[in-house]
Amino acid sequence: MTLDEVRARMRAAGVEIPEERLELVRRLLTDALGPVRALDARAARALEPAVTFDAAPPRDADGG
Amino acid sequence: MVGDELAYATIRELGARFRRRELSPVELVRAQLARIEALDPALSAFVTLTADQALADARAAEAALRRGDPGPLTGVPVAYKDLYATRGVRTTAGSALLADWVPDHDATCVARLARAGVVMLGKLITHEFAFGIQFPGHRFRPARNPWNAAHIPGGSSSGSGAALAAGLVAGSLGSDTGGSIRGPAAFCGVVGLKPTYGRASRAGVVTLSWTLDHTGPMARTVEDVALLLGALAGHDPADPASSRAPVADYTAGLGQPVRGLRIGVPRDYFHDGLDPEVARAFEEALAALRGLGALVEDVEIPHIWDAWAFMAIMLAEAFAYHERDLRERPGLYGEVLREKMLAGALVSASEYVQAQRLRARLAGAMAAVLRRVDVLATPTTPKPAPTFATVHDPDFPFARSNMAPFNMSGLPALALPCGFSASGLPLSLQLAGRPFDETTVLRVGHAYEQATAWHRRRPPLTPLTGAIP
Repeated sequence: MTLDEVRARMRAAGVEIPEERLELVRRLLTDALGPVRALDARAARALEPAVTFDAAPPRDADGG
Repeated sequence: MVGDELAYATIRELGARFRRRELSPVELVRAQLARIEALDPALSAFVTLTADQALADARAAEAALRRGDPGPLTGVPVAYKDLYATRGVRTTAGSALLADWVPDHDATCVARLARAGVVMLGKLITHEFAFGIQFPGHRFRPARNPWNAAHIPGGSSSGSGAALAAGLVAGSLGSDTGGSIRGPAAFCGVVGLKPTYGRASRAGVVTLSWTLDHTGPMARTVEDVALLLGALAGHDPADPASSRAPVADYTAGLGQPVRGLRIGVPRDYFHDGLDPEVARAFEEALAALRGLGALVEDVEIPHIWDAWAFMAIMLAEAFAYHERDLRERPGLYGEVLREKMLAGALVSASEYVQAQRLRARLAGAMAAVLRRVDVLATPTTPKPAPTFATVHDPDFPFARSNMAPFNMSGLPALALPCGFSASGLPLSLQLAGRPFDETTVLRVGHAYEQATAWHRRRPPLTPLTGAIP
């Protein structure tokens, strides 16, 4: 992610971040969004965020 | 001031002494309050001391013990991370925004421990809103690490870790969104448990990130953590994520051998950038577990690097929670924290959804590995506690976390001492298990603890040198 992309996202979100903190935010978002950007959205199994999250393992072929 | 022997007594030991009439809760509380008065000005673990309430609680506990109350927590002095609402006692969340907030209710966990008979000594400082390190000039001073005051005690449950290591409390509660129970436990040489998501209620605890936040106990031994979890665990309709899964007796299995249990060691991701001293202590811990008869084997967790997406979820959810105040009263947020939270506004809706999908895939992969092994073992943190000077550099990167994958997956994870660096800083082992199988995690942790003596070391509390940050 470039600093210009950070600035564009700030404009879209309507928030202001001081210029001296932009590099910090850029690095934070680069790390956080790295896996997201690498995801093939169509290849991954569909998921709807659940209303309640259940940490139990998925019920699958081995009866788990 | 209470002597070290009493100050570092375990919850189990305190209960036994109360019942033998060798010690009364009122005597203990008076002694603990004197110890806090002597040591805390330099440590800054407490943000609010509730001496009068503590004495009242202790008198009630004394009366209960005279009536034969068998509860293991009756009369035990504890304090709460200042993220937990406490009725009639200010709850700051370590923030200027809530500096004067006095809730009219107790968090569910606080109410449950009160019903179990504990004595509340006060509230323990937290990193601001469980996220932002206090920079110089912040409304509240940061807690210092009792092992070396120039180093941070970890966060965000910083006061909880420091107070336990200094013998100011016998137990405490922390909260854990990406490691905020286990990190301070690791850096302060104590024990912390992040239970399974849904096991302990978050109701009445200030939110950082709804789908990642957990509450849980901290203490100086695995058994004490198990005793506290026993009082905390159980369904709470006030927390929408709270589970109805049956509550186990978390101390019942502690004495059982670990011979034959399978311990998986995922090295990819968790050993990236590992400090050599941490690596050595971790390998020695594995050797100790092998010596106890556990079957230790390396395992691979597919998609483990997707754990980085943790930050996208946390930032977006934190911004959603704080948006109004960030827009209307930005000056009440601490330096750097404000910008990190504003970064959450820059995560798009699509990216947030994709991050949750990655999370589900990772949680499934971790659950699959845990069908082949009983427990996972990793270093809790890749390095020992950094100095304040290091983390006060605004450009200090938000470190990759060995703990966050277990917030992403919701799996129970325990941090416990496993050694010390050459400079005397604690090192920590992380054990994680299957959903709602805290019993096995605690069993392995207890067996390791009993085979080693790291948890018996005490910090050199005086003098606490160095400028107060």
